[in-house]
Amino acid sequence: MDESREILYVIRTMDVLLGSGVGLEATIHSIAQGGYGIISDDFNKLMGNIQGGTPLEKELRNMLRDCETDGYKRLINTMLNNVTQNTDIIETLRKQGGRMEEERSKAVKKYIEELGGLPETLLSIGMIGPIILAIVGIIPQLIDKDADITGVTEYAPMMNLVVSGGLFFTLLFMIMIGLKAHTKDPGL
Amino acid sequence: MIFDLMEMLRSEPLVLIIFTFGVAGVMGGIPPMIERSRRRNIENDLPAMLEALSDSLKAGLGLQQAMQSEAERNAGVLGSLLRATLEESHTSSFDSALANFASKTRSSQVQRVMHLLSTAIEQDSPLGDILANLSMDYERLNDLMNQREEELMGRAILIILFLCLGLPILIAFIVGLFAPESKGFQLDGFHSSFSLFFGACAGMAVAISGRMLGRLGSMLWFVPIWMATAMFIYLGGYQVAGS
Repeated sequence: MDESREILYVIRTMDVLLGSGVGLEATIHSIAQGGYGIISDDFNKLMGNIQGGTPLEKELRNMLRDCETDGYKRLINTMLNNVTQNTDIIETLRKQGGRMEEERSKAVKKYIEELGGLPETLLSIGMIGPIILAIVGIIPQLIDKDADITGVTEYAPMMNLVVSGGLFFTLLFMIMIGLKAHTKDPGL
Repeated sequence: MIFDLMEMLRSEPLVLIIFTFGVAGVMGGIPPMIERSRRRNIENDLPAMLEALSDSLKAGLGLQQAMQSEAERNAGVLGSLLRATLEESHTSSFDSALANFASKTRSSQVQRVMHLLSTAIEQDSPLGDILANLSMDYERLNDLMNQREEELMGRAILIILFLCLGLPILIAFIVGLFAPESKGFQLDGFHSSFSLFFGACAGMAVAISGRMLGRLGSMLWFVPIWMATAMFIYLGGYQVAGS
């Protein structure tokens, strides 16, 4: 999550620095200084290993193996290709950045759309559950004990437990619905 | 009626306890809100500042001169911070003044830009182009952040209004009309369960709204007060409807 949140900023920064004539190592060093979360930490480790004598190519290959998100893998792969085959990294980064930005805009619009009906959904569930449970809880007191042919009045103490349990599950259901506000967050 | 409400609170002390925490929470929640508003003002001003700096640099001015003219032009928080930075740069190095400026804004966007600028200055790179690119990038990012906030704000408020106010009022009136205390209904345990449910619902609603707007941390301060409000509305609503 942290990787995918920061990756676009890293690509844009690399694009700006490399496009202005700064070398790849100096660019990695700049990002390693901090401000880009886990990617800064990874780059910092990479710089440390390079200064310890490990070739950049080997370090990038190790990193490629460890990284989890697609965007991050693509970035490391682009860097690796530049080191091994001298490819045009700036052009590739610009394309990657453009595509990611487009994806991010789409993800935000989708997020906004998906949360459109959330207030009404939560209210509906929050209403239906308690109304049914309120009736269940009150019924034993509404029925006269002498006229009770169903025997429901004998279950009055148990009804309280049923109501509490029902309310707990209603709340749990509402939390699960509301959780999409967190899980589908595109991260800005 | 007032005595009935007080009596009701006496038998539900949790509402009073949560309310006390709620008042403290509101006090704690205001500074992060002010801070966020200040930070967003700075971030929304950032692309324009970068563009102006880029134009000035391309016109042949030095970075300090460009910043000086931007500091004079910008009347917002960013301008005043920039003026302070330039004054500070007379007594210390320009680099440290820039770093100090970035930390004073408390904005990750500004900190990234300043860090990038320092690297570009070290590498003697063309600052005009870099600033122009950054300006466009951050403008797009801020537009997206503002769009998200504008479009989700209404829904976030709706969630809070529905779950913290609407729902407890509705259920309280239904229960109050069908099973009023005045007719001998014994609903103490029932009310405890329902008031806890509405408190939890309110807490959840505030947390969801905060998450939707991307400001969960600062919204958490307001969870207790909304919980107490929802619980009180339910218990009070029942008394009103049942009297």
